[in-house]
Amino acid sequence: MILYLFSIVLLALIAPILLSYIKATKMVLLFKRPISVFQGYRNFAKLMHKETIISEETSAITTYAPFLVLSPLIVTMFFLPPIVHGGYYVSFVDAFTITGLISLSTFFLMLLGLDSASAFGGIGSSREAFISALVEPAMVLTLFSISLMAGNLGMGQAGVNLAEHFPKEHMASFLFAGISFFILLIAENGRIPIDNPETHLELTMVHEAMILDLSGVYLAIIETAASIKFVIFASLFASLFIPFGIEFSAPIAILIFIAKLFLIATLVAFLEVNTAKLRLFKIPNLLGLAIVFAFLSLITFYVLGA
Amino acid sequence: MVDFLIGLFLASLIVALFTTRLYKLFLWYSINSLMLGMLALVIGKNIDDDAMIITGIITIIVKAIGIPYILKNLSQKFHFIRQITPEIKVQYAIMLIPAILVFTFYLSAPITSMINTNANYVAISISSLFLSLLLMIEHKDVASKIIGFLSIENSLFLLGISATNGMPMLVELGIFFDLLMAIVVINLLFHKEEMKI
Amino acid sequence: MLTFLLLPAIVMFGVSFSQNEKFKYFLAFISFVILWPIIELFLLPKPYNILSDYLVADKLDTYVLLVSSIVGIGVTLALLTLDKHVQVSPKAYRKFYRFFAVFWVGLIFSILSNHMGIYWIGLELATLSTVYMIKTNYTPATHKEAWNYMIVGAIAVSLILFGIILMYASAKPILGEDAMNFTLLLKHAKEIPSPFLFEMGFAITTVGMFVKMGFFPMNLWLANIERASFYPVAALFSGILESAVIVGFFRFSEIAMQVNYDHLFIFIFIYTILTIFIVAFLIFRAKDFMRLFSLSGVEHMALIVLFWVSGAPFAALLHFGAHAFLKPALFLSTGVLESNGKYKIAGALRGYKGKKGTLFWFLVSLFLLAIISLPPSPMFFSELYGFGAMINTAKQGDHILAMIGAILFLLVLLSIIFYRFVAIYQSMKYEGKEEEKTVYMSELLALIIFAISSISLLLPSTLTYLRSIS
Repeated sequence: MILYLFSIVLLALIAPILLSYIKATKMVLLFKRPISVFQGYRNFAKLMHKETIISEETSAITTYAPFLVLSPLIVTMFFLPPIVHGGYYVSFVDAFTITGLISLSTFFLMLLGLDSASAFGGIGSSREAFISALVEPAMVLTLFSISLMAGNLGMGQAGVNLAEHFPKEHMASFLFAGISFFILLIAENGRIPIDNPETHLELTMVHEAMILDLSGVYLAIIETAASIKFVIFASLFASLFIPFGIEFSAPIAILIFIAKLFLIATLVAFLEVNTAKLRLFKIPNLLGLAIVFAFLSLITFYVLGA
Repeated sequence: MVDFLIGLFLASLIVALFTTRLYKLFLWYSINSLMLGMLALVIGKNIDDDAMIITGIITIIVKAIGIPYILKNLSQKFHFIRQITPEIKVQYAIMLIPAILVFTFYLSAPITSMINTNANYVAISISSLFLSLLLMIEHKDVASKIIGFLSIENSLFLLGISATNGMPMLVELGIFFDLLMAIVVINLLFHKEEMKI
Repeated sequence: MLTFLLLPAIVMFGVSFSQNEKFKYFLAFISFVILWPIIELFLLPKPYNILSDYLVADKLDTYVLLVSSIVGIGVTLALLTLDKHVQVSPKAYRKFYRFFAVFWVGLIFSILSNHMGIYWIGLELATLSTVYMIKTNYTPATHKEAWNYMIVGAIAVSLILFGIILMYASAKPILGEDAMNFTLLLKHAKEIPSPFLFEMGFAITTVGMFVKMGFFPMNLWLANIERASFYPVAALFSGILESAVIVGFFRFSEIAMQVNYDHLFIFIFIYTILTIFIVAFLIFRAKDFMRLFSLSGVEHMALIVLFWVSGAPFAALLHFGAHAFLKPALFLSTGVLESNGKYKIAGALRGYKGKKGTLFWFLVSLFLLAIISLPPSPMFFSELYGFGAMINTAKQGDHILAMIGAILFLLVLLSIIFYRFVAIYQSMKYEGKEEEKTVYMSELLALIIFAISSISLLLPSTLTYLRSIS
């Protein structure tokens, strides 16, 4: 139980570091002087000190919504597969619940965007709705297919099963699910082919457009939520699609897990440096690919058993 | 390992179906062929078949490196249009591709009871045949049609090496010879300057 | 043996590099050399192994080889005067010869092969070399059609190979690497462990072959290509390429008949009737000789396939022989018929002077009337016999009424075609202006060869030989 709580706290603590790490890696790749990996914490501390200004045009939603964005994500963290052998985990939560919780958070984020005083909020919300409508079916299919492969619909139990006996005979469908989930990881977290988190250019921004009005504590909460969302996806990817290393003793297992998270972050950083951002109406191409792969994974497993 | 490579084979073909850039299409074709060659190497090593290993090496050299390179050179020489938008819209492709996959998987379901090994490979080869046909259908320009044709060739090879554990060496060499001949003919066909008498 | 079979083609390939204009007369003579090994093959006991197990001459392919070689000789003769009828640059002319040689080599291998793989390799070689033969006509339309041929032909050939591999996979557990051998496969057809796999392979191969011959979904494909290219290409298609394709179909379907006759019959029956149904109306609308003959070729191929699977190989082979002689003859004569413009059907048979001219129009009218199965033509007998065999087959089952209905339907469709051809013949002979056209000796010689060969199909000894094949 202590390990369980510890792992959640660890994930929460590592979340800002991961995002800063991606940024730093990108800067290294672009021959710039990198920022510190603790930049996330510095930003958080700075925002906590700053004054919080709320626009007069907004309703009460703006004051509640940031908390409602963060809380489903924190709840989701309790349902993730265990990172050490024999650790406690919640076994009954399935693909639909996790997808639902993440969408709930996205829903409040969109509401926040619509409520903001500027016109950009509306743009951002509509784009976010467009993307997440495409992401959700693929996400449900992928998680469902991987839990079928693991032989248990509960995500926690699935992670454990995958680590114990890796489905060698289902390698093809495992691979398809992996490809699909990686695309989703990028899409849901607003990384580069879908959205560029670093610009405030009105033509392209999605996530930033919704939170343009926020300041101070609220902005800190939303940024924390973004980093926690990334860590949720990364740890799902690490424990479901790279299910190795859990059988060692607790400290080594945790170290391996953290290494996997950083590996994923590095992958994302490399991808971000090497690709250009897609036009908004090209996004369905990429996400369609994710849907096709998710479906392919399911039917390959179901019909061929491969 | 074999399953993994076959998965990557099919995955690269599906990604090629969604590509809108010519050079990316060549890249995906090259990855597709590379997976095929590695598959031949792996299977050849498993069943200890020298002919298959030779086939794999030839595949990697010719199909994964040679043909994409030649095609890229040709496309630079003759100024192909590099933006190739599929005729079939993405929203339909998303429905069509899974439909094809389900159809072909169920089509080959009866085989599973007849051949005890490798029935899945037959299913995946047939579906990749159909997907390559789709690749030919959904593009209007010549270069992508050539890639579609070459992908058909690849799916034939996949069937040959995975379902039958390799065809007779003579036939495989013949297929390679014909493929090279096809490239020569394609090269000749592009020469439009001979059009005047 | 093999050396002599390939000699004309190889010599043609070699000579095509020389700049000398006189070489082509030499080629016309050397092409007759191919008859000598074939006659020898007829006399030898069959099956005779030409090249170990890979190339085997049995009764069926000796016959097909003879037919296709006569077509080859005829086309070589007619090629001598290609530049008199159409505009062709000397370079393209030489290239035509070169790729014709490659084409011929490929198809000789294809016809003689006793091995699915070699059959396919020959066919692919022929397909690819045809692309260039089409392209010798330097017009934008031809360029487009050459691409068209390249792509559709490649798909068709790939489908054939795909099916071959599936069949190979189905028989590999019992035969090992020899599962590509036709005779062995035929011998062990009943023991194939997974008939479903074999049938699927057969269906894919058949669809590939049918696409190549211009059956149901691709009816106008071949016609457009033959229209855009020079007329000898069309003659080669109908005489040699389709012989190779059909001999492959004969071999594959022999095995498939052993595996599951009913499935095969229903599949082919529906496919061919659909094809003839569409082609009959397309022929009715045809506006020029090339498309007309090409579509009628599709119709005859469908009939041959239908006769073969309904248990009348004799009728199928007779029909095949007659078609393979008559159609190239007609295609070659279009060179003369169309010398005053492509779409001038009216008056095409008028305006011939002298002995040569008279002989020419007489022969062409004979061919035209023979291709629609008027009585003295071999096609009349083959159709009679073929329809009889279809009823005989149906008698054994309990679907005789359906079969008679289908035959009546077919006869209606054939009479549409008949009507159209007669109308065209009358228009050629009695309408339009008289314009002077010249006929050259070489073409006339080719037509005479074709006429003699198609008449000799009706000799009693030929008929006995054909009967003994099945």
